[in-house]
Amino acid sequence: MDIKTLLDNAANRRSLLKGMGVAAVGLTFTGALAGCGEKAGKKLANGEEGALNLYNWDDYMGETTLEDFKGASGVDVKMDLFENNDTLFAKFRAGNPGYDLIVPSNDFVERMVQANMLEKLDKAQIPNWKNVAPEFQDVPYDKGREYSAPYTWLALGIGYRKSKVNPAPDSWKVLLDSDQYKGRIAVLSEAGDMFRLYAKYMGKSVNAITPADIKTIEAMMIKQKPNIAKFHDDDGQDLLAKGEVDLVLEYNGDIAQLAAEDDDVAFVIPKEGSQLNSDNLCIPKGAKHPKNAHAFINFILDAENGKKLTETIKYPTPNAAAKALMPDSYKTNPITYPPADLLAKCEYAKFNAELQPLFEEAFTRVKAA
Amino acid sequence: MALFTRTVRAPLEYSKSLWMRGWVTMVMLFLYIPLFVLMAFSFNDSKRNVVWRGFTTKYYGVAWENDQLWNAMMNSLTIAFFATIFSLVIGSMAAVMLWRFRFPLKSAVDGTMSLPIIVPEICLGVAFLVFFSTVGWPTGLGWPFNLGAIIIAHVTFCFPFVTMVVRARLATFNREQEEAAKDLGAGEWQAFRDVLIPHIKPALVSGALLAFTLSLDDFVITFFTSTPGTDTFPVLVYSLVKRGVTPDVNAASTILILFTVLLTAIALKLQGAKALASTHS
Amino acid sequence: MAEQDWKQQKRPFAAVATVPLFWTLIFFLIPMGFVWFYSFGRNVGLTEIDIVGTLDNYKRATEWLYLGIFLKSLAVAALVTLICLIVGFPVAMAITFASEKWRPWLLLGIMLPFWTNLLIRTYALMIVMGQQGYANSGLGALWNGASWLKTLVGLQPLSTWEPLPLLYNNFAVVVGLVYVHLPFMVLPLYSALDRLDKSLIEASLDLGAGHLKTLFKVVVPLAAPGIIAGVMITLIPALGAYLTPDLMGGTDSQMIANVIERQFKRANDWPFGAALSFLLIYVMFALIAMQGLRKKTGEVR
Repeated sequence: MDIKTLLDNAANRRSLLKGMGVAAVGLTFTGALAGCGEKAGKKLANGEEGALNLYNWDDYMGETTLEDFKGASGVDVKMDLFENNDTLFAKFRAGNPGYDLIVPSNDFVERMVQANMLEKLDKAQIPNWKNVAPEFQDVPYDKGREYSAPYTWLALGIGYRKSKVNPAPDSWKVLLDSDQYKGRIAVLSEAGDMFRLYAKYMGKSVNAITPADIKTIEAMMIKQKPNIAKFHDDDGQDLLAKGEVDLVLEYNGDIAQLAAEDDDVAFVIPKEGSQLNSDNLCIPKGAKHPKNAHAFINFILDAENGKKLTETIKYPTPNAAAKALMPDSYKTNPITYPPADLLAKCEYAKFNAELQPLFEEAFTRVKAA
Repeated sequence: MALFTRTVRAPLEYSKSLWMRGWVTMVMLFLYIPLFVLMAFSFNDSKRNVVWRGFTTKYYGVAWENDQLWNAMMNSLTIAFFATIFSLVIGSMAAVMLWRFRFPLKSAVDGTMSLPIIVPEICLGVAFLVFFSTVGWPTGLGWPFNLGAIIIAHVTFCFPFVTMVVRARLATFNREQEEAAKDLGAGEWQAFRDVLIPHIKPALVSGALLAFTLSLDDFVITFFTSTPGTDTFPVLVYSLVKRGVTPDVNAASTILILFTVLLTAIALKLQGAKALASTHS
Repeated sequence: MAEQDWKQQKRPFAAVATVPLFWTLIFFLIPMGFVWFYSFGRNVGLTEIDIVGTLDNYKRATEWLYLGIFLKSLAVAALVTLICLIVGFPVAMAITFASEKWRPWLLLGIMLPFWTNLLIRTYALMIVMGQQGYANSGLGALWNGASWLKTLVGLQPLSTWEPLPLLYNNFAVVVGLVYVHLPFMVLPLYSALDRLDKSLIEASLDLGAGHLKTLFKVVVPLAAPGIIAGVMITLIPALGAYLTPDLMGGTDSQMIANVIERQFKRANDWPFGAALSFLLIYVMFALIAMQGLRKKTGEVR
């Protein structure tokens, strides 16, 4: 009997695996472990123990935010870091490993909702929701904001070293389609983002890419590859800071953080327009401390706490009350808040389940070429 | 420098030839310069590890205050400790089993048990990710029980190395000793404890060291099996290398390197350099 | 020594066999089995995998694109192994023939990096090889020195020094892998050379063979088991390397482990990742089988 018939005969194939696994557990000491491991911690007024497991991006939390929250609520926040949405998704794909609050970007909110990974928010527990800026009260990627609370928004653009890059770039051409800065360029290793930005460069919408476009873009990327020093994992600001490269494709907030330390760094959103993202606080299914998670969301949306957070991370904030408290140097910082005429040409990307694997395979081909 | 003076040499004294010495010196420089630079930069008075900006020891203070670093270190050492103990026990049992008994499917069992050595880390990591989630391994346990899954994963890839080392040592065991002990009235267990264990002790020491280092070193498998609050030192360094390492991590690395030197020195003291080296082949 | 039949010694056998066998079954075979089953599966929606017994994943994995990546990984691993062998053999020789006083120190020198954390070592190498790192400033100083010498003798100075892109390319990956794996090569070489009967070398030299001839005709054949062990112990991990190409590689440095990782994370295509994983495992089996074959023919001779 070959594998196929064997498996076809199994009434429910997933349960076969599950059965194997459960049998395995029966043979081990899991139960004993679970029994003695559970800590009977002190309960808070809301009936939960004082703990919150947060899964966040790096460089994405206020210096004192977690301590302040502990002082205010008695909840001890444990924060782990992930480096991209895909890692986040992969971690949750096989089930919640134990987190209470996560920070996915807009398209991944869509994707995780589709995959039934997120819990609905209870706005009654978030009185500070009123501080959310009007344009973030409702968003296309989460109609009615059922699952997500806004954390930041961000725009992709070109970060560059002023002393090395002359004249100042104003088009994606220098990054995506030119050998002018051969070997001095780093772009993102996120396949989807790269293809969408090429689409922008070609004058198309980020959400109107066809398989034929992917072919065209793939060829352009292969042509451009010799000029690129590195596909980076959202650490372009470090490459720029260390002098490894002079131009990077990065998010505005990352460059704003660097520009605060290094005068020689600037940021531009090219004239073709760019892709916007928004990161969101979401409660994953299976969270053990949902009330604490709501309390944390409420805490972040508070004016004063939001201000302190924004002072560190320097990203544009969707928290209107917090923004009002920020100094002018932040509100008028052209890196954090790019000019309105350029922003008008930027778009949010929609999650597209059919195109994603095509992006990935094309990008693998680009790397292998 | 005495190292480079050419003396009259006997035919086999290859190590006295100039080019040989030069070669070894170059290799040692290649191996050690990066480590020394890393250690030097832990005293660098700059946030970015690029240019030397003056001497300071403040980053040792910063590292001392860094909870994330402490947690990661504690997690790493705890995991390595338990993984070593389990690996030693299981690995020696397997070695004794494969050395002493003849049983059906023996070569298959032998092969399977050494498989974790050659299976790429990434495959094993994914396998554990799938496994622990499918069986519904409990999460959110208190420390150190939340490390259970990682410890199990580490034991799986560490114990075959212990088996390998112990088996090599068992091959030199003279069965007559055991027989003699039994003739003198020792039971099976007593003979095992008083004759066999002392004989394989050096292998146990090097096996333990090997398991400890492998566990401390592992990144990929840990990364896939980690749950909230279980980040280990390599996982932390990885995420930091990706986004800018601060000198306090150099400071912690320096301490870890010195700790390694200490461990190696102890191992050398316990059994001599030659025995230690031969365990790696 | 004669092995005992387990049936005659049931109790001692059970005492040592139970735990390792169960551990291997539950915490190795079953998890790997899951991945193996997945490799015959198909994605349904975003998170479900239907195990339909399809071979499509393997078909896709053997497409030219992925075979090319496999071949490239093999080539890189082979190159790394070769460099390790060339660099490591003289070191192993030097240790073998070093004086009693020096030998433990040389051994310690090789072993210490082996015991040091892999990530720390990789990161240390990255500091040195960076655009503004010491490797570059050292080369820059040499270049400027040469330029200065040329002006001294009245020639045109060399053009100004441009830092070499040492990091983030295939060169960096090879250097990084050699750096990490060199001790793996030297130690088994040393223990093979150490066991070698030195009088054979002396005899060869006495009979008039030169040092090089002795090396290739006497030392290398006698040390062959150690060389093979060293090659395997370097080649296999280098083939599955993930960290070094990930951290030190450039735009075209992906190796097969990186592609596999991408399937499980970025691409969210677990069945395909599982198929690639098992192909990689089969390649390693093949390598080991080749070694076994060599051993057999060696014994026959």
